[in-house]
Amino acid sequence: MTQVAIVGTGQTVHARRRTDVSQAGLAREAVVEALNDAGLTMDDIDSIVVASGPAMFGSVNQPEKWLVDALGARYKPVVRVTSGGGTGLAGALAAVNQIKGGSARRVLVVAYDKLSEGPLQANISTLYDPFWGREFAVGIMGFSAAYWHARMKRLGHTEEAAAMVSVKNRHNSMLNPKAHVKREVTVEEVLASRPLCWPIKILDVPPISDGACAVILAADADAEAITPTPAWIHGISYVGEADNAPDRSMLQSEPLQIAAMKVYKEAGITNPFRQFDVAELQEPYTCFELSYYEGLGFCPEGGAAELIASGETTMEGSLPVNPSGGCMGANPIGATALIRLAEVAMQVTGKAGAHQVKGAQRGVAQAGGGWANLRGVAVVGAEKR
Amino acid sequence: MTLTDTTEVARSSAENMHYMPAQLTIPYTLTPGQATGIFIAELVNKRLLGSRHGDEIIVPAQDFSGSTGEPASGFVEVAPVGEVQAFTTNAKGTLGLVLIDGTTTPFLHKLVGFEPGSLEIGTRVAAIWSESPTGNSVLDLAGFGPIGEAGTFEPKSDPEGLAEPIEQIDYTMTLDFKHAYGAYYGTLFDGVETGRRIRGSKCSKCRRVLLPPRAVCDSCFAPATEWADVADTGTIQASSVVHIEFLGQRKQPPYVYAEIVLDGASTRLIHIVGDVDAERAKTAAAPGARVRAVWSDQHTGSLGDIEHFELIEE
Ligand SMILES: [Zn+2]
Repeated sequence: MTQVAIVGTGQTVHARRRTDVSQAGLAREAVVEALNDAGLTMDDIDSIVVASGPAMFGSVNQPEKWLVDALGARYKPVVRVTSGGGTGLAGALAAVNQIKGGSARRVLVVAYDKLSEGPLQANISTLYDPFWGREFAVGIMGFSAAYWHARMKRLGHTEEAAAMVSVKNRHNSMLNPKAHVKREVTVEEVLASRPLCWPIKILDVPPISDGACAVILAADADAEAITPTPAWIHGISYVGEADNAPDRSMLQSEPLQIAAMKVYKEAGITNPFRQFDVAELQEPYTCFELSYYEGLGFCPEGGAAELIASGETTMEGSLPVNPSGGCMGANPIGATALIRLAEVAMQVTGKAGAHQVKGAQRGVAQAGGGWANLRGVAVVGAEKR
Repeated sequence: MTLTDTTEVARSSAENMHYMPAQLTIPYTLTPGQATGIFIAELVNKRLLGSRHGDEIIVPAQDFSGSTGEPASGFVEVAPVGEVQAFTTNAKGTLGLVLIDGTTTPFLHKLVGFEPGSLEIGTRVAAIWSESPTGNSVLDLAGFGPIGEAGTFEPKSDPEGLAEPIEQIDYTMTLDFKHAYGAYYGTLFDGVETGRRIRGSKCSKCRRVLLPPRAVCDSCFAPATEWADVADTGTIQASSVVHIEFLGQRKQPPYVYAEIVLDGASTRLIHIVGDVDAERAKTAAAPGARVRAVWSDQHTGSLGDIEHFELIEE
């Protein structure tokens, strides 16, 4: 069975607004870093997957056309994948499938968004059905806050518990050189911060960022020839569901549970909390991280508040979640899922620098798109299975 | 009444409710990057700048060569004259590919001031500069016209005193759409517009009512073969209190964003709960609270015909 690995990663210096580069220049910066990390040139790359958020975000349709020129990738196979906040993982899955299917040996995935260029929440509202909800949508924020509110009552995901996620992730960002928001906060400050869409308050919300991430993938002997430390993908899945199916409480994300189940089976995971050394979870708002603890089986349903309060998901705990700071340090939406995957790869190969989890051997990356109905999970390890 | 019957109703009403026009107007602040930023900034100085990439000279100046991906090694100033390589004309004017003297890649721009029939492949052209330049648009170069007395020169490497790059270009994208209602939305919104009647479709297998109506149940994949009336009262499934202001917002915050399951339906509807204080809303308009539609005076055949929902205080 073909085993695919991550053999190089790169990220831009993320920022609220990068006026020094165009969209294509931003993406190129991450690619140059990934190629250098892998010790490869563009000539070595067989195929390119461009992953970016909705075209509305940057007003450029078919941005892969621009990127091909800036990357020096003319005449190579190129496709674009887009799936909201899960875009990067969906792009990585496309690359894995190209390699497993035998159509390419070394694939570059480049994911980016330059969110400073357009009105974010208004553009996200265009994800909604124009007949059914778009006119009342509040981007993804109204929706997310509403279901957090529903989970509060039923699952105990309190404002305090979510505030602890903000405190932890912002603390972790301090040691991540790529994070652009570096400010420690306390639970009290989060709770007292300005409500944007209650229960979501401004300190529950990540920054709006310009940024890019690139990852190079190859299989088996190809991977081992490129690097002595491939980060092997033990399983990767991306699952969707109906938008408005009957009797759907949305207290748990079913696509996340299905994706996790499939990937855990592939990767031999039976006790995720014990078997993972590190997790990178895309948290567009703090409440999402709580929900993912349950969806990924780190704790039983309704146990997330207790888990965050236990400190077990801090850098000192037994399963550090978001040592990079997660989205709280930087959140270029189209890139954010690939950043999570790259960060896990860095962790299990000992390349995470100041935010390295000591001795990490196996980790999980998770991200999702749309507002709730697309979820991806990947398990990455130092050991080839 | 079965769905087949009402499909006929929808089709007849399709005469006046064929599609819903929608316009998206989105403001952007685009970043052209260094080379193109300098190219645009220099247009007010009536200087045309290219970028050098090995043997290639590209106008407008680019940060990276499309052939190799390599960054530019420097700028050149080129003569604002060239040769037409291709052109096309429609009612709004003529567009052409102009190969500027000394460059290797043609520049797409407007061709202006030519007598009908006088333009040919190979025609020599010269820059026409805008009389009212803005300092941040490629239209500060209005286009290319007849060459007249304009002379040419070899590209000059590393020109002195280059302007600072334009960092941001404001741009508005306006997109007009016509969303087809189709038989299901057509019938639903016909009923909403004329009789304040809300109807879903009922699954033939699980008997749950899908709103908005659709042909197939998302859970059973069985056909939804009947229409079913749904009340204009319901229960809040999820809610949040909106304080942020954003582009295109329908109501001045604070207000309550709510996902509501109407009585008789099994799916959610997104709307607003009005007339409730932001602080009180946290508990009064919480999940589980009962609400009733407040119909507007407008009859547009959309969810907007419901002004908002109000709490049913018990
Ligand atoms: Zn059914």
